[in-house]
Amino acid sequence: MARGDTPMTRWLLNGQEVENPTGMTIMEAAREHGVDIPDFCYHPGLSIAGNCRICMVESNRSPKPIIACSERIADGLEIKTDSDVAVEARNSVMEFQLINHPLDCPVCDKSGECILQDHSYTHGPDRSRFVEDKNIRHTKELGPTISIWGNRCIVCTRCVRFCDEISGTGELCVVERGDRAVVDVFPGIPIDNAMAGNTVDICPVGALISEDFKFEARVWNMDRRDSVCGGCARGCNIEVETLDGYVKRLLPRENLEVNDWWMCDHGRYGWRHLYSENRLTTARTANQELEDDSATSTLADFVSRAKKVAFLIDPFLTCEELSLIHGLSSSIPDSIVGGWLPPKGTAEQFPSGFTISSAKHPNRRGAEKIFGSKVFGKDGKDLLKALDSRKVSTLIAFCGGPAEEGPGSSWSEAIRKARKRIVFSVMDGDWLKGASLVVPATAPLEKEGTWINEDGRLQRARSCWKPGDEPFCPELVRLQQVQMACEIRTRCLSAAGVFRELAENIKAFSQHSHSDLGDGGLPLSRRRARVDSKGGTR
Amino acid sequence: MRFKKICTADIGKKNCHTLAFYKKQGGYKQAAKALKKWAPDDLIEEVKASNLRGRGGAGFPTGVKWAFVPKNSKKPKYLVVNADESEPGTFKDRLIMEKNPHILLEGIIICCKAVAIEHAYIYIRGEFVFATERLQQAIDEAYKAGILGDNCLRSGIKIDVTIHRGAGAYICGEETGMLTSLEGYRGEPKLKPPFPAVEGVFGCPTVVNNVETLANLPYILEVGAKAYRSIGPEKSPGPKLFCVSGHVEKPGTFELPMGIPLRTLIDKHAGGVWKGRKLKAVIPGGTSAHVLTAAECDVAMDIDSLAAAGTMLGSAGIIVMDDSTCMVDALLNVMRFYHHESCGQCTPCREGTGWLEKIVQRIAHGEGRMEDLELIHDVCDRMLGKTICALADAAAFPAQSIVTKFSDDFVAAIENGGSPAWKKRHLSTVGGGASHG
Ligand SMILES: Cc1cc2nc3c(=O)[nH]c(=O)nc-3n(C[C@H](O)[C@H](O)[C@H](O)COP(=O)(O)O)c2cc1C
Ligand code: SF4
Ligand code: SF4
Ligand code: SF4
Ligand code: FES
Repeated sequence: MARGDTPMTRWLLNGQEVENPTGMTIMEAAREHGVDIPDFCYHPGLSIAGNCRICMVESNRSPKPIIACSERIADGLEIKTDSDVAVEARNSVMEFQLINHPLDCPVCDKSGECILQDHSYTHGPDRSRFVEDKNIRHTKELGPTISIWGNRCIVCTRCVRFCDEISGTGELCVVERGDRAVVDVFPGIPIDNAMAGNTVDICPVGALISEDFKFEARVWNMDRRDSVCGGCARGCNIEVETLDGYVKRLLPRENLEVNDWWMCDHGRYGWRHLYSENRLTTARTANQELEDDSATSTLADFVSRAKKVAFLIDPFLTCEELSLIHGLSSSIPDSIVGGWLPPKGTAEQFPSGFTISSAKHPNRRGAEKIFGSKVFGKDGKDLLKALDSRKVSTLIAFCGGPAEEGPGSSWSEAIRKARKRIVFSVMDGDWLKGASLVVPATAPLEKEGTWINEDGRLQRARSCWKPGDEPFCPELVRLQQVQMACEIRTRCLSAAGVFRELAENIKAFSQHSHSDLGDGGLPLSRRRARVDSKGGTR
Repeated sequence: MRFKKICTADIGKKNCHTLAFYKKQGGYKQAAKALKKWAPDDLIEEVKASNLRGRGGAGFPTGVKWAFVPKNSKKPKYLVVNADESEPGTFKDRLIMEKNPHILLEGIIICCKAVAIEHAYIYIRGEFVFATERLQQAIDEAYKAGILGDNCLRSGIKIDVTIHRGAGAYICGEETGMLTSLEGYRGEPKLKPPFPAVEGVFGCPTVVNNVETLANLPYILEVGAKAYRSIGPEKSPGPKLFCVSGHVEKPGTFELPMGIPLRTLIDKHAGGVWKGRKLKAVIPGGTSAHVLTAAECDVAMDIDSLAAAGTMLGSAGIIVMDDSTCMVDALLNVMRFYHHESCGQCTPCREGTGWLEKIVQRIAHGEGRMEDLELIHDVCDRMLGKTICALADAAAFPAQSIVTKFSDDFVAAIENGGSPAWKKRHLSTVGGGASHG
């Protein structure tokens, strides 16, 4: 039997003959048929530990129940996941897991997304036979961002395996034996690596606690949106969780082409500036603050009357925003466009293959596709020169980065030489003094649109803002309104609509649309992989 | 064939641990034969034919285990000698290493030749300081005499032996726990398969054998498989070291043929139950074995007979208890051990061992409830056969059999406010009369 080129194995799952690629574990294979075998210690990104025993099932392989996460399917294997033996094995593990567990869900950050909680509902006893004193284990800081609440630890070793196998930093270990066993660090060596935050995500219970998120929100109260991290050119797929439109937590989202199940701590914790004191949220002219609406009309006014216009773009802008800027610049004769890049950071590569890019911005590739490969190179230099020699009278600059000093000193000085300067900025700062118009700009997590990561993968970012409750008009809309005022556009479109225009105008994008990109994005100029005849995607 | 002591015949004699003494008794002749005359496959066949079964506890046929090692693996192969001897009531390997270390080294050479191994590790229990010294002296002597090293006994074959000391964990006696510990990790058993024979220490094929198992090899070559098989029961033959402790007049290690009646062992060799008291219970194979009542003690001490009697030979650590023993206290002692020694990986063992100790302790301390007896059974059932290694089973076996076979002691402790020993201790510390808190 074969599915494509893959040899297949026939086996019996709860009395039904089924087929899966040879070599699969029972757990993975059963899940392909919609039979969910519970797990604690299993994680698809880590080696198999087989210690929690919750995945035990009955088989014809051995009189004892076997663990589905580690044992593999074979021809003639019979597995029962709901027989008395299997149910009793699961119930046993649940009873044991719970006897010493503090069950402090009301004050536990994991509550609501806790695997122990979930399995308790389905497989746990409804009362305890344990009348002894519960064990006490340590609660302590393991590092600058993570602490352990030992009483909750189920010793699944996911976190230990993560540090051994994925980050390769090996800070965590299990200390003590038996029911005293608990996760710890070596004396004087805290857990402090650029991927550490993932251990909190994969901890199936509330034993590892993120100091950043501790007591910040109950998880069921938060809204979640699939998005992409703008921290670097890797573009890790993430979930953005918000409470009333405010970001509370970022979590990585599985994408085996980009970030596996992980994200880095720079990206994870890199959103605090959104709510800092120096965040720019209102527009102003050189001498007064503006209502958001009049900011747009003032801007339209400037643009329609401008001469010797230049645009300074950044690599934080989405392809959609860049496309709108492209539309404006093309409509203004002799306008010039150049780009600025934030300083290079450090790249990091981990043993698992996970990488953090040295390019600390999400969309250089997109800007180059739209404005040409020289936009941050020669074009940028030319723009700098034109500003220095005062050949630019109106400059429209974009600064979507997190730095309060904007695009850096050489650019700030040059910008000052334009007679009229209109600056879109995320952060307020001294360098904005004297600008003709300052417009609040969206930061990466607030944008609706697409970015192209360093591997050329086109991915969709979504805004964390609560629809209808936006603090100011995002560039995506504001730039379209300006285009309408300049009579080069008739109506305001969604990000998907703007993307459609981009696909019509620029060949590199012509194969794509928002809906095609799905959750995980696609390599640019390649359409969604065709679905093969047997129903699997390849 | 007539029984002869092979490990302990000379242990009372002066300098019995030295190379000179060992050679005078004909030592290393079988090693030389193995190195120079025997083909590896023939050695494996001979050991298979001898029906030698592992002396570490599981009783697995030694030759069969060796045959599992892949022949044409490109990786190096290892022998790891299990000298961790931590099963309560067991003290036989220590005796061999202290008094007759060269017999172990000769066994190691024979095994290495049979499986084409160039490096053997001896993983020795950390508390065995004296045994380690004696063993190291013997190894040094053997290297100096050209018995070990690059050209063992001028055969052109290389065999190195290295001692590794454990740090005092029972679980490092379990073979995969021992291998992870030897690799420098926390001693935790691994999932099987892969079995050590295929993927053992450092990811390489590995033979794990107990000290006493290996010590039998020179004798098997000396007398031949057929003669060896005729010592004791054919399916589980050979000379065997029995460790008798507890309430007997003359505790000690006795080398006797497999299959000796338990009664003979206790009454004749160990001098009988002490102080003229009556026998109450016997644990025949280390605390991991099911307990036998006095009435069940008419049994032959070999692997299959004890299995048929519902218990096991295990490590042959025989713990004798007289009729003054409170089985609640005895079980508490055993449960404290397993709770302390569970490595903590598997949920049923990590939590179950602790729970059992707490329940039994509560009964011993006068807070027991009748339903606790049922609960102990249930907890054991929920542990049995559900873990990575056999430690959980090893804790559940004595708990179930002691509670079942000696339920009177438990009922008495529940009804009368605790075990007799605890009441005595408690009353003498708090001053008569007061009930405890
Ligand atoms: C919890 C546990 C502890 C063990 N401790 C020992 C030990 O101390 N010494 C030993 O030789 N075998 C011990 N064993 C048995 C070993 O796992 C293994 O079966 C044995 O070393 C194999 O050698 P053999 O075939 O020569 O008996 C233990 C097993 C378990 C499950
Ligand atoms: S801290 Fe969490 S992830 Fe780590 S071993 Fe404990 S329960 Fe598992
Ligand atoms: S590696 Fe880059 S994209 Fe991924 S989380 Fe870190 S900063 Fe964000
Ligand atoms: S059964 Fe107990 S000792 Fe053995 S691996 Fe599991 S937890 Fe450790
Ligand atoms: S999920 Fe299989 S043993 Fe933990």
